[in-house]
Amino acid sequence: MLKLNSVSVGYTSKMVVKDISFEVEQGQMICLIGPNGSGKTTLLKAIANIKEFEGDIKYNEVHINSMYRKEIGKIMAMITQNSHTYFPFSVFDTVMNGRYVYMDGLFKGPSKQDKVIVEQALERVGMLEFRKRNISTLSGGQLQRVHLAKLLAQEPEIILLDEPTNHLDLKYQIETLEFIKELTIKEHKISIVVLHDLNLVQRYADKVVMLSEGDDFLIGDTKDVLTNEKLNEFYHLDIKDWMVKTLEMWRK
Amino acid sequence: MNKKLIGLSVALLVLTVLIGISVGSTKIPVQDVFSILSHKLLGTALSEGIEGKTVSIVWILRFPRVLLALIVGASLAVSGSSIQSVLKNPLASPYTLGVSAGASLGVVICIIFDLYIPYFGYMTLTTVGFLSGLVTVFLVLRFARKVDHGFTNQTIILSGMVLALFVNAVLTMITALSHQDLQRIVLWQMGTFSLKSWKYVYAILPFFVIGTLGTLRYAKELDALSFGEEQALTLGVDVEKVKKRLIIYSAVLTGSAVATSGTIGFVGLVAPHICRRVFGPKHSLLIPMSVIFGGVFMIVMDLIARTVIPPSELPVGAITALIGAPFFSMIFFSRRKK
Repeated sequence: MLKLNSVSVGYTSKMVVKDISFEVEQGQMICLIGPNGSGKTTLLKAIANIKEFEGDIKYNEVHINSMYRKEIGKIMAMITQNSHTYFPFSVFDTVMNGRYVYMDGLFKGPSKQDKVIVEQALERVGMLEFRKRNISTLSGGQLQRVHLAKLLAQEPEIILLDEPTNHLDLKYQIETLEFIKELTIKEHKISIVVLHDLNLVQRYADKVVMLSEGDDFLIGDTKDVLTNEKLNEFYHLDIKDWMVKTLEMWRK
Repeated sequence: MNKKLIGLSVALLVLTVLIGISVGSTKIPVQDVFSILSHKLLGTALSEGIEGKTVSIVWILRFPRVLLALIVGASLAVSGSSIQSVLKNPLASPYTLGVSAGASLGVVICIIFDLYIPYFGYMTLTTVGFLSGLVTVFLVLRFARKVDHGFTNQTIILSGMVLALFVNAVLTMITALSHQDLQRIVLWQMGTFSLKSWKYVYAILPFFVIGTLGTLRYAKELDALSFGEEQALTLGVDVEKVKKRLIIYSAVLTGSAVATSGTIGFVGLVAPHICRRVFGPKHSLLIPMSVIFGGVFMIVMDLIARTVIPPSELPVGAITALIGAPFFSMIFFSRRKK
């Protein structure tokens, strides 16, 4: 179980998320939502321990910021928003980076087992036939699948995704979230996903953390958070009304 | 396919070394060079008809010179490959962080004041080069952290450039004021392998070995860093520690190379690019290949520098830039068009 206890995170001048506490269990998918600048990504980075925070973040009762980076890497994997490179890595080598924490020993490369795991990961996301391709030649959707394969290769217990549906067409958006959802349930992972599209949140999230532009936040089951009144308050827009009108247009 | 290419590259290096020794004011046939080297290194019998004078030319003059060019070229190329990935910037070079400027200043001060570190003997200059290079990098990083808490690569690169310009200005002033040593300093700064004997090879060798092995040890981390620091962190890389060590190893390589033969540009930029194109960006292969191609490139440049207008010698630093600049634009921009 992942537990946040009165966590605050932000920048030296200003905390963007203040005193937040929640828990996520294995097999649960939690979505972080809120307007731009509300601190979704910042909170996600704090959980990944790549940004400093105040308060406690514990996984199975162990403080994550007391662990070595390699131990954290075995527990959590994250797809960040910008993980592009100028250097022409192949799909296979990119995914092999996910095995970093399991490769011990000086000057030692990947083992046979590492290679098998990478191939399995590529197979699962349907990218095995692209294994030798240069990643700079891939489409946005294909690249996202490569990142997913890398995440699988890392064999994490907690999956952190920062807007994984960005720049993807609707089909890929749904595919990506279906994939994560299935992984979360079948393999008892914890997944924490920053999402903008509230339709996707409605469909896939078990729990929602909604952050406001100020210090306010709301945590609960999806149906309790995504109410008309609360959305209006956090987004300053009658979102539900807008969505329902759109739906009516579709029905015509 | 890769294995074949690696084999060919090693063969190319051996061939370049042999040709580098063979060509010069006295031409020595390659088979004689081969015979002399194997006589000296492996103790085989010398072929008949080789004069003692020829043996001296090969063993005392040409071989150490070629070897030194190889080591300096390799050092700069390895350091370039590493720094480009650490800073995630394909245009970075060993000089980006101000190492060369710092090393130059340290070495010039040593030359002017005739300083020698006791017990270090001929390793004084390489040690001073490495240490003063390291101090400069340290200042660059301190400065970058102070002005930008995010400690982004852009800030690091800009700080490096600013400090390098500043240190170079100090260097120019010191040089201008030291009439006696002016010629020596200018010659050294232009970059040359002329009149370099075995003791220079011994002086740089430990730095080269430590710097290269140290960098190679972090090959996997360099792969991860190529995708950005946040990515590397989430993959489980202790970025701060790894980055610091890689920068130190880069200072070891660059500082000692600059101390040995002055500031020679473009090798650290061009060789890594060629290697990435041919062998891919994976550092477990890229680093050893940078050794080979940095070496080959430098030996060829030195060969051109000393044979183009005989009997005078051109500074090799000028040749690398003269050939390196158009060559680099060619590879860099042809890749962009694709």
